[in-house]
Amino acid sequence: MNKWLVSVLAAVLAFTGAAGPASAFSAPYESYTYNYYLDAVPIPAPYLPDRAVTGRDLGVGDFRSPNDLFVAKDGTLYILDSGNARIIVLDPGWKPVRVIGSFMRDGREDRLLNPGGIHVTENGLIYVADTDNRRVVVLDGEGRFVRLLENPQSDILPPNFIFNPLKLTVDSAGRVYVVSRGAFEGIMQFDSDGTFIGYVGTIHVRQSIFDKIWLRLATREQRARMQLYIPTEFSNLDIDDKDFIYATNIDTYSDELIKRLNPSGQDVLKRFGYYPVRGDVRYRNFGSSAGPSMFVDIKYLGGGMYTGLDAKRGRLFTYNDEGDLLYVFGALGTQVGTFTVPVAVERQGMDILVLDRAKSNITVFKPTRFGRLVNEATRLHYDGYSTAAVALWREVLALNSNYDAAYIGIGKSLLLEKRNEEAMEYFKLGMKRRDYSVAFKRYRKEVLQAQFGPVMSAIVALVAAWLAFRVFRRRRMRRVVNHEARLH
Amino acid sequence: MKQDFIKFPFFLTVRPFQAFWDLKFEGRGKRRVAAVILFLLVLNVTLQQQFAGFLVNYADPRYLNSLKDIAYTILPFFLFCIANWAITTLMDGEGTFTQIVLSTAYALTPLVVINLPLTFISRYITQEEVAFYVLINGIATVWFLFLLFVGNMTVHQYTAGKTVVTLLLTVIAMGIAVFLATLAYSMGMQIYWFIYDVYRELIFR
Repeated sequence: MNKWLVSVLAAVLAFTGAAGPASAFSAPYESYTYNYYLDAVPIPAPYLPDRAVTGRDLGVGDFRSPNDLFVAKDGTLYILDSGNARIIVLDPGWKPVRVIGSFMRDGREDRLLNPGGIHVTENGLIYVADTDNRRVVVLDGEGRFVRLLENPQSDILPPNFIFNPLKLTVDSAGRVYVVSRGAFEGIMQFDSDGTFIGYVGTIHVRQSIFDKIWLRLATREQRARMQLYIPTEFSNLDIDDKDFIYATNIDTYSDELIKRLNPSGQDVLKRFGYYPVRGDVRYRNFGSSAGPSMFVDIKYLGGGMYTGLDAKRGRLFTYNDEGDLLYVFGALGTQVGTFTVPVAVERQGMDILVLDRAKSNITVFKPTRFGRLVNEATRLHYDGYSTAAVALWREVLALNSNYDAAYIGIGKSLLLEKRNEEAMEYFKLGMKRRDYSVAFKRYRKEVLQAQFGPVMSAIVALVAAWLAFRVFRRRRMRRVVNHEARLH
Repeated sequence: MKQDFIKFPFFLTVRPFQAFWDLKFEGRGKRRVAAVILFLLVLNVTLQQQFAGFLVNYADPRYLNSLKDIAYTILPFFLFCIANWAITTLMDGEGTFTQIVLSTAYALTPLVVINLPLTFISRYITQEEVAFYVLINGIATVWFLFLLFVGNMTVHQYTAGKTVVTLLLTVIAMGIAVFLATLAYSMGMQIYWFIYDVYRELIFR
């Protein structure tokens, strides 16, 4: 009897153990999205932490305050280990290939000093924002020195300007975009041979009406002592395959914490979601971790999707190209899958990597079935395969029938297929008034065109009958009147 | 019969000066009609929240509650009447409370007459036509306010300027009434919980 019980227990244990992929464990954070009514609605975790990788795990020694991470197209990882002033290059299977510590420049050995950001171009050039050396260093794939970008000269730069590059990215034409400390005018743009062209994506300062009244009331002395109205700086940037720049900034009162800059520097991010693209829309105003989200990094995921990393609450916000919030996950904490000081987010294949400066590790997140379906459906829709996306959205709805983005996705596909009446229903479920209106307009036109013949005939027939009746009545009346007048 | 019950409210909406005069001095206002107008207004609010088209309906379906609609329609109505009565009594108004209630209720006619069909029409409009919906809604509201103004002026035999002042004071008086009611409610609750606590202390001794 006892033996039998033990064997059953063992079988159960074996079964649960065998059927224990990552999704069987609960995540150390709550995943959610915002619905139309400003509620944070729990959703199945789109990503689950797989492992946290330290420098020691990789066999290159512990990282010290790493500041940035970059994953090349082929999956090669570049870790900017700032405290140790080195770049660690890993192959797609996370095997260390090379550690770039120093490089030879003009016959002398040169080192990085507290670098802030890294970008690697498709032809293998490594661009490093060497913050405390006030320069951008360009190295080739082997770690040999190529050139420097330093001491930018221009009429628009003040004479005492100090170039402190923090983050950077490079477009396909070799233009370098640099976020520099104290450069409030925007992102600094350098052309391919390293000359400063100008700023892109200036953040405009807005004075509130109270500020204006207050300024009007203040005396000149008071005004002189007041805080200057200075725009906020950009905090980070990323570039997509069309050379559009995704840039984040930390501005407490702005709804435009994430911008998508076209090559001429205008913000062209679509913001058609329920709420502005600004991370959390419900948060405490006082107390611990109060205030709006603080984006420190952004990553373009492909398929129009991008993920912003909020350092304030350690969350990752993923939006689609229309600005709908797809999912939020992550938290601050000490468990695997939570962060202390998250500084960079990257994508390697399907995985999401988050670099933590204080923990000196990289957390690898693997998508769950839910996350994979959402990503794949969004991507298909973005690439124009809406019909194929519908099947995936239906699977998503089977996992989570409260997921508004799925209803909207199906609605859009139905709209493209001219199934307007069904599309209306889905847009209603997804609370998308703008698209609903489009579907409804078409549907109304359809119905009107189909019913025009019968309705018009009926109206004409009724009018004719009424006219005939009046003529008939008038004749009879006249006859009666004539009769009474004894004309007959 | 038909003259007083159905035609008179419509007559009032287009010829307010004469109609309110008739209401006050000829006794043509009927309480039953006023009650029906109020009921239709409540119905209107409920129907609008439940059945207005998706593009104009911003009511959260999870919190639809007809009892609330009744409370939020009837209570402000009587609050206005009482506040108006209180103010006009002090300011030499000639209207009785009944006349105030009747004139206010009759003034609501355009809201009922316009918004009830508008709710139906709103189901067949697109985003571009929402502007017209808002416009017509606004016209109904402005018309109602105009009738309220004329009604108050006629019922109390005020000048136009004095009517405006009285109406503003009425709004302030409504605020004071709400404040006092909240105060009384909160104090009442405190007394209730105090007695309840004493009772609990006693039974647990």
